[in-house]
Amino acid sequence: MNCKDWEERIALFAGGDLSPALEAEVKQHLAECAGCRDNARGIQDSLKLLLSAHEEPIAAGHYTAVRAGVLARLERERRPWRRWMWAPALALGLAVAGVFVAVRPARMPEITVAAPRYPEPPAVAVGTPEPVAPGERNRPRGAGASGTAPPVAASPRVPAAAQGHGPETSALVEPLVVKLITNDPDVVIYWIADRKGEAR
Amino acid sequence: MKTLAFPAMAPPLDGTEATATALEAARSGDLAAFDLLMRRHERMVLATALRLLGKMEDAQDASQEVFLRLYRNLGKVQACRNLAGWLYRVTVNVCRDIRKRRPEETFVDAAEELVSPGADPQEAATRNERRRVLELSLRLLSGRERAALVLRDLEGLSTGEVAEILGTSQATVRSRVFQARIKIKGFVEGCFRRRV
Repeated sequence: MNCKDWEERIALFAGGDLSPALEAEVKQHLAECAGCRDNARGIQDSLKLLLSAHEEPIAAGHYTAVRAGVLARLERERRPWRRWMWAPALALGLAVAGVFVAVRPARMPEITVAAPRYPEPPAVAVGTPEPVAPGERNRPRGAGASGTAPPVAASPRVPAAAQGHGPETSALVEPLVVKLITNDPDVVIYWIADRKGEAR
Repeated sequence: MKTLAFPAMAPPLDGTEATATALEAARSGDLAAFDLLMRRHERMVLATALRLLGKMEDAQDASQEVFLRLYRNLGKVQACRNLAGWLYRVTVNVCRDIRKRRPEETFVDAAEELVSPGADPQEAATRNERRRVLELSLRLLSGRERAALVLRDLEGLSTGEVAEILGTSQATVRSRVFQARIKIKGFVEGCFRRRV
């Protein structure tokens, strides 16, 4: 039996794990073998070093932290209702919101939209048409009495309303047009309102 | 649940009437009594977890989990003499779960970290270095070897008790302890040889 075969027994001997009979055998071998003696002493010294480090006291704060953590969790588990404290608060909030919706005014507040300001329309010189002779009524349009077109004052193009066809001729009022684009590309909603806010 | 008997490893107070009284009171929901039980076993649980995990933060997490499990299983701990064994077993299991979730960082020639320029063997005996040697040498071991060595050589349990806790045979425990001691010796000697 060479020293390699003794290795396991020596390691166990160093920790006191052998039966008395095996321990006696190992002691006999150690008395004869210096190498194995060193090996056994090395193991014992290593274990002694580790044990001395392991036995150093742990700071009290670490224990306190553990205990505090455990007790805090146990407290939480013993009072599970605390976890659901938000539920009544949420129910109360929903109830208040429901009451508010139920009693709120039926008509939405009126929203006034300021009409856009347009520049004043240019002054238009509207000429009085010449009296047409009865005989000339069948004359082709565009031809004057002498066969030429009558002199017409050049007038800028004006909206129909400004020419006296609309209800108001003195102020230029354009409708308010709101274009609402929906998700459906085929559906576009136009909201057209006149100055008084009446939808057309 | 399997009942363990650990007459030799029980802490001094574990078998006392006070512990039995505290256990009974804790079963009825007395948190102060449970706090007393924790105080009596906290060193055992935290120190074991620290050696198995290597980091105080993880060890504290493990200890909290162990005591929470104790509280939830107070009815299963049949007698106060079983308490220490039950706590050791749960500690080992909890630490094993934590190690699975948080793999330890790779061991990179940790002995180098111990050697500081100008340090001599005398200084190696200082407390901090001893602690560092302990931490780094335990990293060399596999999880099973580490558990066997910590319980057998650091916590001082018998081979039979370690086998009960780890759920294995005494022969297996002896084999793991032997392997662990050889590795530890090699590391410690290598570490101090570099200093000379």
